[in-house]
Amino acid sequence: MSIAEKTPATPPAQTPATPQAAARPTVPRKAPSGRTLLSFVLPPLVVLVIAVALWQALISLFGVPKFLVPAPLDVLAEIGPAIGTLVEPTLVTMGEAYGGFLLAAVVGFAVAFVMARWNVAERGLYPYMVLLQTIPIIAVAPILVVWLGPGPTTNTVVAAMIAVFPVTANTLTGLKSTDRNLVQLFAMAGASKRYEMSVLRIPYALPYVLTGLRIAAGSSVIGAIVGEFVAGIGGGQGGLGYVITSTAQQLLMPRLFLAVIAASCVSLLLFGLVRLVEVLALRRWHESAMSSDD
Amino acid sequence: MTTAVQADLVRFAGVTKTYSNGFTALAPIDLTIGPGKVVSIVGPSGCGKTTLLRMAGGLSSPTTGELSIGSTQNSYVFQDPTLMAWRNVLANTELVSRIRKVPRAETRRRAVEALRLVGLENVQKSLPRELSGGMRMRVSLARALASEPDLMLMDEPFAALDEFTRDRMADELIRLWRERRFGVLFITHSIREAVKIAHEVVVMASGPGRIVEIVESPSPPGTDPDAARDTDALDETVKYIGARLAAA
Repeated sequence: MSIAEKTPATPPAQTPATPQAAARPTVPRKAPSGRTLLSFVLPPLVVLVIAVALWQALISLFGVPKFLVPAPLDVLAEIGPAIGTLVEPTLVTMGEAYGGFLLAAVVGFAVAFVMARWNVAERGLYPYMVLLQTIPIIAVAPILVVWLGPGPTTNTVVAAMIAVFPVTANTLTGLKSTDRNLVQLFAMAGASKRYEMSVLRIPYALPYVLTGLRIAAGSSVIGAIVGEFVAGIGGGQGGLGYVITSTAQQLLMPRLFLAVIAASCVSLLLFGLVRLVEVLALRRWHESAMSSDD
Repeated sequence: MTTAVQADLVRFAGVTKTYSNGFTALAPIDLTIGPGKVVSIVGPSGCGKTTLLRMAGGLSSPTTGELSIGSTQNSYVFQDPTLMAWRNVLANTELVSRIRKVPRAETRRRAVEALRLVGLENVQKSLPRELSGGMRMRVSLARALASEPDLMLMDEPFAALDEFTRDRMADELIRLWRERRFGVLFITHSIREAVKIAHEVVVMASGPGRIVEIVESPSPPGTDPDAARDTDALDETVKYIGARLAAA
């Protein structure tokens, strides 16, 4: 049988330099053109411009006072005076959220691994993982303040608690969704459970793990800010949660809006980093990370 | 009871299989697969074909009767290619030898040789998604060949392919068998395919799963498949098996 068989989607290959190149059905990767990039960026940008313009127009039209809802131009004007007071809190929240995220990633993966490896562990642990998810974090945070004291440590733990469940649940689903035939093949060839886990189940679960991490990226920032609301600054530098609370009390609305935008940026940065890892790790073999052209 | 014997690759003697929910998948089965024999199984869905195959592979035990497994190296080919999407063609082909801790150089030699046999030596570095359905199935065949089996267990391996590719894959299997002379237990829903590739065709019926008849093929794999394909004998055998299946 000839090797020249090709996928229907494969376009005609160019003159091959080697026989190997001739046989290999390649899918040429197109660099994103300016037009493609524009079509990707333009729609959300247009929506943003319209929304901000509408916001500005409504505030001006109805004469809403700045201490209730600031106009976009007020928020913009606040950047200069507020920047010095927002950098440090942003870094504090970033440290707590990212620390909580890493903790959730390690603990979440380890717990899922144990549950996937031993059924009895899953039966024993899973109800408590669900329980952890159902307890309102705002109710647990004061307990943690008593145990750990106010400050970044508590906030990091709160962030981890809120972010751990999506990592565990997704990783467990991935580890248990492995193709049954492949598992059977490994068993027939005499593979050990450890080999099966490392060579088959974990790579198979990778897309699920990364989806869990993406959800956890957003959750951990929420957790850190909720922690800051409750645990406060603990004698050190407060984070964005503290800035939000204090500016709300003083009705410094433009600064409050800036703090909220900064919190979103912290979340977006982490989300973007996880997505980058996802694309780099999966782009060659998993649909979720391939471009639509593939 | 399962014991190891030397002469036959697999021998079922009065083997039955009843699941814990009381469902009887197989009534007493008597079947022998000798070394280098190609045996195909046809029958309706639910007649216990896959159960039989799994038992031959040691993945399931009989409820009663004696199952003797003489093959030392089994390999399994599924309906789907069942490849690891994140591993390239070469790594997928090396998989079974790696699990069995065959020395690295020997593992590589076997994989490269198997890929050469199925005509895929030039796509070693490609990922499965970069190949067509037929090529992926051939990687699956190469993986089975690389484990140097004495018994190949094939569960509707070409069912997902189009008719043209399927026909070519059957020819390819016959060609590979001529080179290696391994035993084959081959499940298919195509009577023609079953007759074309095998020495013997096991005709099964359901309720409970049982063997109705074992029919000898007029075109066993030792003969030229192209010459045998359109003979009257092949057509008559196909018709006969069809009638037996309809009557069962």
